[in-house]
Amino acid sequence: MKLSALLAILILAVAGTAVRAAELKLEAQLVWASNQSTSPNPKHKPVEPEIKKKLESLPLKWSYFYEVKRQEFSVSDASETKVELSGKCQLEVRDLGDNKVEISLCGDGKVVWKGAQALPKKEILVLGGKAPGDTGWLVTIKRIE
Amino acid sequence: MAEKNHSTAADLKLVEWAQGGDMDAFEELVARHRDKIYARAYSMMRSEDVALDLSQEAWVRAWQRLQQFQGDSSFSTWLTRITINLCLDQLRKQKRQKAESIEEMDEESGGVERQMPAVTINPTERLERGELRQRIDTALGQLSHEHRTVLVLHEFEEMEYKEIAKTMECSIGTVMSRLFYARRKMAALLAGLKNED
Amino acid sequence: MNEELQLKLQAYLDGELPEAEAREVAAWLAQDSGAVGLMTELKNTRAALALHERGVNVPESREFYWSKIRREIERSDAAAHRPAPAPVSPFKWLRRALAPGMGLALVVATLFLITRPGTTAPGLGLTVATADAGTFTYRNFESGATLVWLPYPAENRLAGGGSGGNLQQQ
Repeated sequence: MKLSALLAILILAVAGTAVRAAELKLEAQLVWASNQSTSPNPKHKPVEPEIKKKLESLPLKWSYFYEVKRQEFSVSDASETKVELSGKCQLEVRDLGDNKVEISLCGDGKVVWKGAQALPKKEILVLGGKAPGDTGWLVTIKRIE
Repeated sequence: MAEKNHSTAADLKLVEWAQGGDMDAFEELVARHRDKIYARAYSMMRSEDVALDLSQEAWVRAWQRLQQFQGDSSFSTWLTRITINLCLDQLRKQKRQKAESIEEMDEESGGVERQMPAVTINPTERLERGELRQRIDTALGQLSHEHRTVLVLHEFEEMEYKEIAKTMECSIGTVMSRLFYARRKMAALLAGLKNED
Repeated sequence: MNEELQLKLQAYLDGELPEAEAREVAAWLAQDSGAVGLMTELKNTRAALALHERGVNVPESREFYWSKIRREIERSDAAAHRPAPAPVSPFKWLRRALAPGMGLALVVATLFLITRPGTTAPGLGLTVATADAGTFTYRNFESGATLVWLPYPAENRLAGGGSGGNLQQQ
């Protein structure tokens, strides 16, 4: 009885380690929000419909969302993953386990927001603020695996 | 004691509750009048962002001064006055930062518009409603803030010359002159006689 | 027509003339087509403006607009060391959203919260460690989207518009 219990604990522990060892794959996007139907930068393309739908479900006043940069990355609990979205905008992300990630948004090298968020699949976290000319900047983070 | 029903209560009752610290009552007032307050700020400032900020600031001021509201006018009128004053303060600040141009001096005295032949075309008959609204919006944006403010206070707020002069801290003669100029320029722009550049 | 007469005509239209002067202007209008033309123009402009005033609405949802006002009120109340108004449960928005007959809220369950450092937002799965005052969080449960709205950067140092702002500096 004792041996079987010990085995069960060992199996669970090994399985747990295996799960924790698997890295979370995430995708971050830097998005420019505007009411202009075309972006002045031809490199910008509209965000994918899935992201657009999510953004439209939020109380944002803009109708058009342009992808400025998209980056896929992996995170682990061992160390922070740094993701550079623009010269002044970086993310630092760490896996906390149980679908939870710790995210730091850095502007000009300083942390302007830090929080821990559960990110199961199909969920999205959007960080945002105002930009000049009645536009907005958004950083979307979602899990892809 | 009867339970409060915010959605059906009259404005004055909501104010009374809000004066007692009832934030939900104040929120109901915001919901009822936010479009009017925003529209007033937008008509004066011509910027969505600035109008949003100032209209929200007006609500904050209203909350802070709620005890001063005695019901001499409607709550909506009282709040609109707070909004107008905030907008005027902001416009004055902007003006101080901007050197007075020759064009502005010309506008002050009426410019060429005063001499234009009368526009007898009625824009409300000639233009489709959406197009008319768009053209008025553009035209309002082309007026200096002094002319636009006089127009807004007189046409939208239905203020008398004397009251406008007091609000804008200028003479009645200046109010009359600015109003006349603003109306004439609007007429020309609506009739398409002046380039909308 | 000189400026004085033009302004007098306008004052007549606006009901700002004393009775005796108003009678004079009325008599003048009866015999001067130029004055009639100008009067028609002034009346038409007034009618057009009256139409324009309708239809300008706040370009934000009720909740979003109010949340910013409430935040400022709470901030100013705290600064003035006055007793803050009775706190409203953060679940108020959720209750409202789920209440029948609330239009859009019927299908969209939402939660608004002011998120401060060290707080855990109930129901959001979000814990905030660092945030400027004024940061708040909006959650749409149906779409699975969480928005963290930041007051940063005040003058947009982090990102720029589409025409050359820092946003595009990659």
